[in-house]
Amino acid sequence: MPEESDTDRDLLPRSEVAGWEAIRVNARVVWALGMRSIRQTFRRPQLMAPIVVFPTLLLAIQTGGAGGAVNLPGFPPVQSFLQFMLAGAMMQSLMLAGNSGGIALAVDIEMGFTDRLFSAPIPRYTIVLGRLAGTAALGLFSSLWFLAIGLIFGAQIESGVAGALIAIALVTATAMAVGGIGAAIALRTGSASVVQGLFPLVLVVLFLSSAFFPNELMIQPAKAIAEYNPLSFVVEGIRGPIVSGIDATELAEAVLAIAGIVVLGLVLSARALRHRLRVG
Amino acid sequence: MPAIVVEGLERSFGEVLAVQGVDLSVEEGEIYGFLGPNGAGKTTTVRMLTTLLLPTGGHATVAGHDVVKQARAVRATIGVALQEAALDPLMTGRELIRLQATLQGLPSAAGKQRADDLLERVDLVAAADRRVGTYSGGMQRRLDLAAALVHEPRVLFLDEPTTGLDPVSRKTIWEEVRTLNDEGTTVFLTTQYLEEADQLADNVAIIDSGRIVAEGTPDSLKTEIGNPHIQLQLAAGSIAAAEEVCARVGKLLPPVDGRTVLVEAANGAADIPKVVRALDDAGIAVESLELVRPTLDDVFVAKTGHHLEKRVPATSSAPANA
Amino acid sequence: MEAIVTQPQWRANLATIAALMARAKNELLRVPGAAIPGVLAPTIFFLGLNGVFGALTQLNGFTTGTYESFIVPVSMLQGAGFTGAAAGVNLARDIEGGWVDRLLVSPAPRWVLLAGTVLSASARALIPATSVFIIALALGAGWPGIDGLLVTYVMVAAMAAVAACWGSSLALRFKSQSAAPLMQAGMMGLILTTTAYAPLALLQPWMRSVAEVNPVTQVMDAARQGFIGDVTWAETWPGLLALAGLLVVLGAWALREMRRTAV
Repeated sequence: MPEESDTDRDLLPRSEVAGWEAIRVNARVVWALGMRSIRQTFRRPQLMAPIVVFPTLLLAIQTGGAGGAVNLPGFPPVQSFLQFMLAGAMMQSLMLAGNSGGIALAVDIEMGFTDRLFSAPIPRYTIVLGRLAGTAALGLFSSLWFLAIGLIFGAQIESGVAGALIAIALVTATAMAVGGIGAAIALRTGSASVVQGLFPLVLVVLFLSSAFFPNELMIQPAKAIAEYNPLSFVVEGIRGPIVSGIDATELAEAVLAIAGIVVLGLVLSARALRHRLRVG
Repeated sequence: MPAIVVEGLERSFGEVLAVQGVDLSVEEGEIYGFLGPNGAGKTTTVRMLTTLLLPTGGHATVAGHDVVKQARAVRATIGVALQEAALDPLMTGRELIRLQATLQGLPSAAGKQRADDLLERVDLVAAADRRVGTYSGGMQRRLDLAAALVHEPRVLFLDEPTTGLDPVSRKTIWEEVRTLNDEGTTVFLTTQYLEEADQLADNVAIIDSGRIVAEGTPDSLKTEIGNPHIQLQLAAGSIAAAEEVCARVGKLLPPVDGRTVLVEAANGAADIPKVVRALDDAGIAVESLELVRPTLDDVFVAKTGHHLEKRVPATSSAPANA
Repeated sequence: MEAIVTQPQWRANLATIAALMARAKNELLRVPGAAIPGVLAPTIFFLGLNGVFGALTQLNGFTTGTYESFIVPVSMLQGAGFTGAAAGVNLARDIEGGWVDRLLVSPAPRWVLLAGTVLSASARALIPATSVFIIALALGAGWPGIDGLLVTYVMVAAMAAVAACWGSSLALRFKSQSAAPLMQAGMMGLILTTTAYAPLALLQPWMRSVAEVNPVTQVMDAARQGFIGDVTWAETWPGLLALAGLLVVLGAWALREMRRTAV
């Protein structure tokens, strides 16, 4: 137990200065690591492309193939299937971004770069936060991308600019939240190929949510799982402003779900960090 | 008939001319060494001669067949062991040799027999049924060499066969090459190691920046350059002073590292006393002194102005480009 | 020194193709867990598509009762596309690692080397196809009959060959594994811009136009026959013709790239 509290302290600032000064110093570290993470992401388009291109391809295929769904009895009133699907495409993209952020962190671990960071006098959380900055940037980019695609192909954002901003904010926040889980897995396993192997899981989790179809019209047992899947709440929160008005309850549920994922990510990351520092 | 004839061979990659007008001829039964630093164009030349790369100029024949127009005939007569040992880590050594036998068109029973014979020849019988991924670097090279011999090729191409190997493995490969040559195989070997070219090759071509700068037997090349030199090992800090003193009594040669001074000794051992005296007079202590006879590196320096093994440009001696 | 006695060229060619296929199976048998992604992806897609879009069968124009029956061939063909593209990725990896040099320096004809890659992909594609098929049956898809099953499997094997030609062409062109997403995306696009999600009449106008000219639509419809009704020659031959055409075109491209590797 005494061991635990030692490492607990390791997660908190170790600098001699306290209070505002410490926050400023750590913020600068997060900024530096964040910029590196963002630069890494956008400097390699061939890694970025699958995160945006695949979901776009799937969006086109699914709207073209299953677009007749809007005529199903019970389908929520939308302008078009495309308008409905935008949120799902953003979800898919941000989850792939989270997965790829995890892979990047695992590569850093494999290459020993994180050892360099661990031995520096910076608090551990800055390392994870810095990595998440890259994921957030990707999330931001993909939300803008799909909103643009939607507008270009005739979908309207029903709640206008405010709605778009809410969608963008939610997507960016969720990207970070999911990135936290990816980071936790990376820290725990230290293996890029393991994190990459979890990518099919992303698809599974999305299929078991209301990302691609209204929950009420899904088939059991997927329907039951989707009803309680936190990702469904997030998707509805993103979708709401696009297909109709801004609904406070929907928004609150989405934010709560994101918060839940963030907490899960934090807990898993902290434990993974502790494990890594103990195991070396 | 020469085993390999190359005339004006050229290869450019976009703007870069990796091989510029190479001419050479290799007799049957010869070991021909292609010596040069990294990036000189050795591998590019080998890839052209083994039909893996098309020349952008000039032509070449191997075993009487044109490498461009009769590529398949060339492939049937050559054995190749490339710099990146082209092995599959998931296969066993035996499986690999048998696959090579199949690729060469050998019937199944003959392939089996050849595998047994070759594995024994390169001393890999014990490891034959283990996956290649578990082999050491030396074992992988030996396997690669064995695979190249499956169809008893007339001409064997070895691209840097001992790079990265420990001295014992290197000696083993050298012995194998000599044995093959005694059996009549023509060997075209590229290397960046002086000793390898010196020891193995009947004829050596020295290549730098895509051009052949010298060609001949190792002995004739060294005799052409001629002069031995005195190698002085000095304490750190006295190098500059020593260089100045030596330059006054003899001809300085480009340094190889920061702790030795090299002075040409046209008269051999007779030049030693004046150098020692001059340094003694100047109060410079000498840690060790050696009279070094010319090597292929000296040939290289004379032709290109820099050393083969360390790219230090010549300081006082003018590069004599042949 | 005389060359060793070799066998007649046609025999050597067959032996080489067999040996290359034997090598290809090492990927599955000697690397633990290597078969999983190839089997998992199409299966996940099948289950996912079914759970998500299953309600589409309520639309007018759907002649099947169950969505499972409708999309089983989609997932099986997806498995074929994935397997074939993966063969291209493996070839790219072999090129990067220098293994392909060994093949190119040998006197084996180029088409023989290509055939080894393509035929192994065809054989391997039967694994995810079978996995999807069994799961589909368990979930209530109709039994397609022996004739239907045979037609489907033939389509799957040929589609995998098409995908392998596509993947190989890209591998030989770019000589790098970074072309992998293009290999996968290309096949995904080709297979899904067809009557994959719904019958022709229910597709969105732009998708319908694409599906009408996409040869794989014929393949999809042919592979689906047994699952949604009877198998007839009239429905089958367009699929065979489409596959033959794709094989000729993509196979020729792959062969050309294989021959041009020396450039």
